[in-house]
Amino acid sequence: MRDTRTPFLFFAPAFALLGFVLLSPVVYGVWFSLQRVEYGAPTGYGGLINFRRLFDGDGLAGTFGRTALHTGLSVVLTVVIALALAVWIDRLKPRFGFVVQTIVIVPWIVSTVVATLLFRWVFVNDIGIAAYLIGTVTGGVSDLLTEPGGAMGLLVVVSVWKRIGYAVIVLLAGLKSIPDELEEAARIDGASAWQIFRRITLPLMKTPLLLVAVVLTLSNINTVETPLILTGGGPRDATRILAIDVYERAFAVFDLGTATALALVMFAGNILLVLAYVRLSRWKA
Amino acid sequence: MSAPGSRHALGRSARAAVTALMCLLVVANLLPLLWGVLTSFKADADLFRFPPTFFDFAPTLDHYERVIVSGFLGSMGTTVFYAAVTVGATLALALPAAYAFDRFEFPFRQGLFMLVVASIPLSLGAAALLIPNYVYFVGIGLTNTWFVLPLIYTAHQLPMAIWIIKGVIESIPRELDEATIVDGGTHLDVLRHVMLPLARPAMGAAGVLAFVGSWNEFVAGSVMVDSPALKPVQPMIYSFIGFFGREWGPLTASATLAIVPILIAFALLGRHIVAGLTKGAVKG
Repeated sequence: MRDTRTPFLFFAPAFALLGFVLLSPVVYGVWFSLQRVEYGAPTGYGGLINFRRLFDGDGLAGTFGRTALHTGLSVVLTVVIALALAVWIDRLKPRFGFVVQTIVIVPWIVSTVVATLLFRWVFVNDIGIAAYLIGTVTGGVSDLLTEPGGAMGLLVVVSVWKRIGYAVIVLLAGLKSIPDELEEAARIDGASAWQIFRRITLPLMKTPLLLVAVVLTLSNINTVETPLILTGGGPRDATRILAIDVYERAFAVFDLGTATALALVMFAGNILLVLAYVRLSRWKA
Repeated sequence: MSAPGSRHALGRSARAAVTALMCLLVVANLLPLLWGVLTSFKADADLFRFPPTFFDFAPTLDHYERVIVSGFLGSMGTTVFYAAVTVGATLALALPAAYAFDRFEFPFRQGLFMLVVASIPLSLGAAALLIPNYVYFVGIGLTNTWFVLPLIYTAHQLPMAIWIIKGVIESIPRELDEATIVDGGTHLDVLRHVMLPLARPAMGAAGVLAFVGSWNEFVAGSVMVDSPALKPVQPMIYSFIGFFGREWGPLTASATLAIVPILIAFALLGRHIVAGLTKGAVKG
């Protein structure tokens, strides 16, 4: 249909909202970041003053390093475990597979606040059920949350646990789109289960795997709740990653200048990931 | 690829080990939730017992009473309102937009739709988008209003909803809308009498995702509104952590209450969630 007024009227409200909520704050944020900011309010053009203060400040390199470690470990572990689970569920009888799939999705449906809170309760010093179980195995009461390595480890575990369900759904959809005949043929030719997985399934799963990895990376980098509730960035700065750093700069230290600058740096990184996502998601208008 | 044949390569014991491992993983998924729900019904004496007990305790509703006295039900009501407005607005905006993108030719159609797709993961960028969003909304005086959160949530849910609904409109035969037009109907009639009924499963999927998304949102909810009457559930739970400290009874009770609506939505429309997510590109 070659009518431009009707479609415009139909999509304009949606675009007006997206422009107002998603786009205009970024434009305003760029302007704001170039202002001198005092007590949370802009007081005049300041050039790159906020960016200079951001990069001259202590600990930013460490924060980036920890973010890379947390996100890298979480994404790799989530993808590997989810792929194994998806392959397993794919081979179950449909009914049972649906039940398992539903159970696997539960932590993803529950809010990050609730999931993290419950996880902290499971691992809390001396009375948590997991702390107790670990204690009986290692022979001492352990408190992972007070040790730097333990806290980061738990942060990764929660991040993985929370997102496996999402990854399983997408990967399962990918597995189901692989024609049975391909694997059947390989089997008749005498290929082992591992060979079939390695040579047929894995190459055909490249796009869904990459897509999942991109979305998981974005989600891990930008999630504030998990570090905020599990560790508060501690002990000391052991779990201070970008998401909580930018949140605390703005709402605990009230330094909106460097907070906006850092948010824009993160936003630039997000844009790169979004471009990768747009390429991988095979959309068509 | 669901034929079981390839299992032959694995030995019986290896297969048993794999199954046991996978079952363990499934249990690990539910254990923290079960443990939290059980804790919420334990009196303090049972709660701090060591070694911990699973089922050997006398259940009590004391913690729920304290949480409710602290205003948790009001907060849940507020959040139901936010989520309902978000679902309604999201679907009302997404259906015509999806229809326009699927059925019309117009300039920049590809580019505009690419923006929609790009916005799907962008609305995940809570931490990166939040600060500019916050300074902007403070600047124009939108914070602390009853509509600021539904406004933000709708923008976050909209791109995904357009994508899902467009996927279904693609499969609705064009003859149906053409018949309506030939009979003298307008495109609004097509939307109301053809698209609305036929796209209902997709709208269910998009709607339930929008509900879950806004019910579970924390970051915007915690900074965009101050007044207790406007606080949604997730920031409320977070403020309980400061308020109740190490009192895990009230904390797990509030967590349990916050899960209930999600589980109800999931039980009623869980199939739609999976179908919606499977449709294509998705949020994490």
